[in-house]
Amino acid sequence: MMENIQATLHKGPAVEASRPIKMTSKDVIVHYGAKQALNGITLDIPERQVTALIGPSGCGKSTYLRCLNRMNDTIDSAKVAGKILLDGEDVYDPDIDVVELRARVGMVFQKPNPFPKSIYENVSYGPKIHGLAHSKQEMDEIVHTSLRKAGLWREVHDRLDEPGTGLSGGQQQRLCIARAIAVSPEVILMDEPCSALDPIATATVEELIDELRENYTIVIVTHSMQQAARVSQLTAMFHLGDLAEVGPTEKMFSNPDDKRTQDYITGRFG
Amino acid sequence: MSTFTIIPIVFVIGLVGAVMAYRRSRALVGKDGVKMHSRPTYHASFVACWGIIPALLTLAVWLIVSPIVISTNVSGNFPEGVLAQSQLTEGLAYGIVESIGTGLRVLPDDERATITDTTPVADVTALLRNRGIPTASAATDWMVPLALQLNSLQFWSRWAMTLVVFVVAVAGTFWSYRQIAPRLRARNNVERIVNGALIAASSIAIMTTVGIVFSMLFETIDFFSRISPAEFFFGTVWEPRFSNVGSSGNAGSFGFIPLLAGTLYIGAVAMLIAVPIGLFAAIYMAEYADNRTRSIVKPLLEVLAGIPTIVYGFFALITVGPFLRDLSAQISGLVSGNYVSFIEAQSVLTAGLVMAIMLIPFVSSLSDDIITSVPTSLRDGSLGLGATRSETIKRVILPAALPGIVSAVLLTASRAIGETMIVVLAAGVAANLTLNPFEPMTTITVKIVAQLTGDLEFNTPQTLVAFALGMTLFVITLCLNVYALYIVRKYKEQYE
Repeated sequence: MMENIQATLHKGPAVEASRPIKMTSKDVIVHYGAKQALNGITLDIPERQVTALIGPSGCGKSTYLRCLNRMNDTIDSAKVAGKILLDGEDVYDPDIDVVELRARVGMVFQKPNPFPKSIYENVSYGPKIHGLAHSKQEMDEIVHTSLRKAGLWREVHDRLDEPGTGLSGGQQQRLCIARAIAVSPEVILMDEPCSALDPIATATVEELIDELRENYTIVIVTHSMQQAARVSQLTAMFHLGDLAEVGPTEKMFSNPDDKRTQDYITGRFG
Repeated sequence: MSTFTIIPIVFVIGLVGAVMAYRRSRALVGKDGVKMHSRPTYHASFVACWGIIPALLTLAVWLIVSPIVISTNVSGNFPEGVLAQSQLTEGLAYGIVESIGTGLRVLPDDERATITDTTPVADVTALLRNRGIPTASAATDWMVPLALQLNSLQFWSRWAMTLVVFVVAVAGTFWSYRQIAPRLRARNNVERIVNGALIAASSIAIMTTVGIVFSMLFETIDFFSRISPAEFFFGTVWEPRFSNVGSSGNAGSFGFIPLLAGTLYIGAVAMLIAVPIGLFAAIYMAEYADNRTRSIVKPLLEVLAGIPTIVYGFFALITVGPFLRDLSAQISGLVSGNYVSFIEAQSVLTAGLVMAIMLIPFVSSLSDDIITSVPTSLRDGSLGLGATRSETIKRVILPAALPGIVSAVLLTASRAIGETMIVVLAAGVAANLTLNPFEPMTTITVKIVAQLTGDLEFNTPQTLVAFALGMTLFVITLCLNVYALYIVRKYKEQYE
């Protein structure tokens, strides 16, 4: 296991020197009803890098991710405390516009969830509701660029009118990424984006994530340690609602400080 | 033995077989460690099914066939020419024979022994009258021997039936009990029987529909042989006269247009009010309300659905109708200074309004279930892109739920078209043809009730028209449902 991951690491992207911080969280505590899901997470997310959140099931990594664009607001019983800053602005400030926040911090979900509309409408959905295009040409431009960036253009350019739900699983997930890119977010959150895909589709999506790093800050939750090693520069290890350890991905997988991280990446639990 | 004694006994035979099968199956397992294909309960059900089902089927067939056989036999013995003479139909004569037969069975044994083939009918009627059993005045002497023949045939048929059914039950139980072996696939057999039972249940629903259609079809054809379809479907005056016996000259006008217009008009007013309100209520409950509000509001709305429609009718008659009338008087007073109410207490508007109140819980409850069943992932996807809740509902949830909502709306429309009590009390029974929603109109169902109640002779166009109306209503709602199915399919294709 360990050798595998290290082999992956050598081919992986080099860690870049200290980047500006895009998002930061201080003592984030989340309750679902009476149950506490996160016990005070403090974490900095560097700009234009991929940050991977790893850890065993139920450790709170998805919960943390959903705090970053306030998707937890849609769950009645969820209560969030602590501070989360995006470019120094508190996202839980009552004055903040949640709708605008989610346009800046986009999200890709575990299961591909294209809308039951055509491929074109799926991508144009975000720009349309945010009024990003003022003419048909501009909208076409946004849709085509987003599909190109998501690496889907070649496969679907001649059938943009067909339903998005008719694509294969991997294509659907890339369509969802195109949909998220179309509103020009600054941060893209990905909640286990490859868990429902086969290995080939996974490889395509991972390549895509690596390319997207040039323009977007990406936070990815993943169950696969190889995937974390392949795509991320920074890795945060969650365990039972705590942040066990955070560090450059290379260091995390070769020489972790925390006993729990070591046990997890060597496959002793999780 | 009566049918209601036979059925429990058949069940007892089956159950005894089942218990024995269970024990035998258990014993087989214990004996030399053989592995049974099916568990003992399956062997038990297998034997019970074989004991009970064929016996009950035999019973059912016998109960249907034997009266037919007996009646053909007895009617065959009717004296030639007698029927024509006494102006009796064969069916009527057989009815009299049957009632004499039934009467004879009630008599005590000693009195019954006095009656032979040659007893005059007058004596028999006298005896029966003493026991409080009336007989038809048309009964004649030749009916007495036939009644006796009928009784004896029925007696033997019943004994034979009892015997045959028990033999079938015991034979089925015994045969299937003998089948029990480690390799017997009782489990698969029981599965097949369950399958058959389910198919039978669903075909009963279909057969009933077909039966209902046929029961109306013949009367409808009879009606159209008296009144031309063109007059019925395109006539604009509804005015069936009361029929006097023998006066077949003028039956009145049977124009169906005023009723159709009233039905559609009242239904449309009701739907126009109920669909938006119901849909918005459903959207609020499914998308906005928190769990506590939902748990209070939803049952409250559903209570509304449980109120009998006649109560809505009261509400229309006592409250809504007079309120609208007085309101219109006030409005016209304010506008023109002349306090004349332009809305009548019984009007299309009153009926539509009250019917809408009745329909709101249907629309909202059905749509709520449909909206809730739209996957959360779609909701998250839209919200995650920075859409507001109402944008999400308008652009993602409603389009995805549309096929379901359309079928819910059409289902509600069928109810609106079929509603009777509210219309009687809120819009009256006058068949007007008008475009003014403030005047009374009436619907097809109301007229069906009106034509079928009261002391009317059955065999007249005035009564038969009810069947033609019923048939037309059936066709209208059928078209509505077919259209709903078509729409649902079309949208499903688009969204899957």
